Amino acid sequence: MKPVHALARKEFRAAWNSPVAYAISVAFLVFSAAWLYFVRGFYAAGLADLRPYFGIMPVAFAVLAPAATMRSWAEERRLGTYELLLTMPFTEAELVLGKFLAAYATIAIALALTLPVPLLASLLGSFDPGVLAGQYLGALLVAGASTAVGIWVSSLAKNQASAFVGAALLLIGLSLVDRLAAFFRFSGPAAAIANWVSTGRHFESLSRGVLDGRDFAYYLSAGAAFLYLTAWNVRRRKWS
Amino acid sequence: MIQAIDLYKSYGPVAAVRGVSFEAGEGVVLGLLGPNGAGKTSIMKALTGFHYPDGGKAVVAGIDVTEDPVAAKRLVGYLPESAPLYPDLTPEEYLAFAASARGLSGRVCSTAVGRAVEACGLGPVYRRPVEELSKGYRQRLGLAQAILHDPKVLILDEPTTGLDPNQILEIRALIRELGREKTVVLSTHVLQEVEATCSQVVILNEGRVVAQGSPAEIGEALKGEERLSLRVRARKGRLDELTIGRLVAGLRRLKPAAPPVLGPDGVAACELVAPPGEEPGAEAFDWAVENDLVILEMLRRRLSLEEIFVRLTSEGVSK
Repeated sequence: MKPVHALARKEFRAAWNSPVAYAISVAFLVFSAAWLYFVRGFYAAGLADLRPYFGIMPVAFAVLAPAATMRSWAEERRLGTYELLLTMPFTEAELVLGKFLAAYATIAIALALTLPVPLLASLLGSFDPGVLAGQYLGALLVAGASTAVGIWVSSLAKNQASAFVGAALLLIGLSLVDRLAAFFRFSGPAAAIANWVSTGRHFESLSRGVLDGRDFAYYLSAGAAFLYLTAWNVRRRKWS
Repeated sequence: MIQAIDLYKSYGPVAAVRGVSFEAGEGVVLGLLGPNGAGKTSIMKALTGFHYPDGGKAVVAGIDVTEDPVAAKRLVGYLPESAPLYPDLTPEEYLAFAASARGLSGRVCSTAVGRAVEACGLGPVYRRPVEELSKGYRQRLGLAQAILHDPKVLILDEPTTGLDPNQILEIRALIRELGREKTVVLSTHVLQEVEATCSQVVILNEGRVVAQGSPAEIGEALKGEERLSLRVRARKGRLDELTIGRLVAGLRRLKPAAPPVLGPDGVAACELVAPPGEEPGAEAFDWAVENDLVILEMLRRRLSLEEIFVRLTSEGVSK
């Protein structure tokens, strides 16, 4: 675990020494406050249900996670430090895990900073800390899977910009695919697949604070799968 | 300590390395010399485990780099070409990362960092962002990172490019110092670098080895003969053609390449050929003293590595 820790710390430092991490935190904070104001206005005052507020999380992380991960590999390659990193005694798994944890920590901090926003809103109505905890846990799960996708796209991309755009498009697609399928009146297996892969669909119960094992399994396995693909990608590059 | 065994590496249709073999033991500074595109960097990347060769083996201290990359990488310090660094980290943070990535911690870590900072003269910029550092300091920071964990093998890709002459001398001195106990492989296209620092040279062209050995051996093998250009006059009186011709014929080991030429001022220019492996100057001096001649000029001419390099690599191209 030590090399993973070393790499994660380096990545984390670099992120917070540059404007990126601050930009992410501020953008997320502003967005969540504005969004809460909007949904509260939409549903009329006195509402304690934060479900619409959390419902947007898969889409929010579809933009936020790529912002945190776009640098991870693409920037290393641009700077040439990729060469250095790969000649240090890391296994591919340690490299991927270190980078993932650093980006994930940045996102988790950005998420934690928004905590006062729904908290203040909840004070106005009936407030269930258990539900809020469940909702935040759900948000952390989506964030983790989105970060894994972002890391994977960054390992394929030539530069930061394409890493960001590629990951954001992929994640927005994944979060809305169930609604698109419904819109185009898909049925049978196509609709089932669309629902099954959709990050938005799996967030529906989580946004109510309801923890379902299947949703947990979905986000955890999606995260693991994309991290595995990233490690595979890093390894493949050594032979080319 | 480090071996390249019949290495092959291609990038798509481009064959960068085509069957390169060499080895270097402890206390050896090995120079990979060749024009751009000769395959130097590709070989170094295979030795450091950055990428794997298509054929052959890269072996570090008996460990096949492809089979156990992590174990091999522990023994190697690497300075990639143009010393890539993280602009958002200070040297302090960067070295802390490199040290912990190498598994150093606590007192061992701070001693190692201190030693590397000292050896590379990084003190004045230790807490400045890398973005603000000059090229020389960046290069030294890259080198500090490479020697941090006191590796048995150091691989340095063009370690002195972009440095000013003073910095080059400092870095070369440091490399020679490190090369006493370690195995150092460095690449360069600067010949003086090899003559100044390396005990072994591998000359590469178009992905193949065209010559290897010590700098002296390579010079020896190629120079064939050594020449001595001599300008002499008589201590008393004036030389004439007959006398100088007779005197030159009296030389034992040195042979005239052409009849001596006598100038109008009584100075004779002799072009002499020396047999290989001799010190030609001594005989010329004794000969001049015996015959009461004054040596005005003595020039020993041998092929410089520069000429050898040009000869070898252009031969390679013409094949």
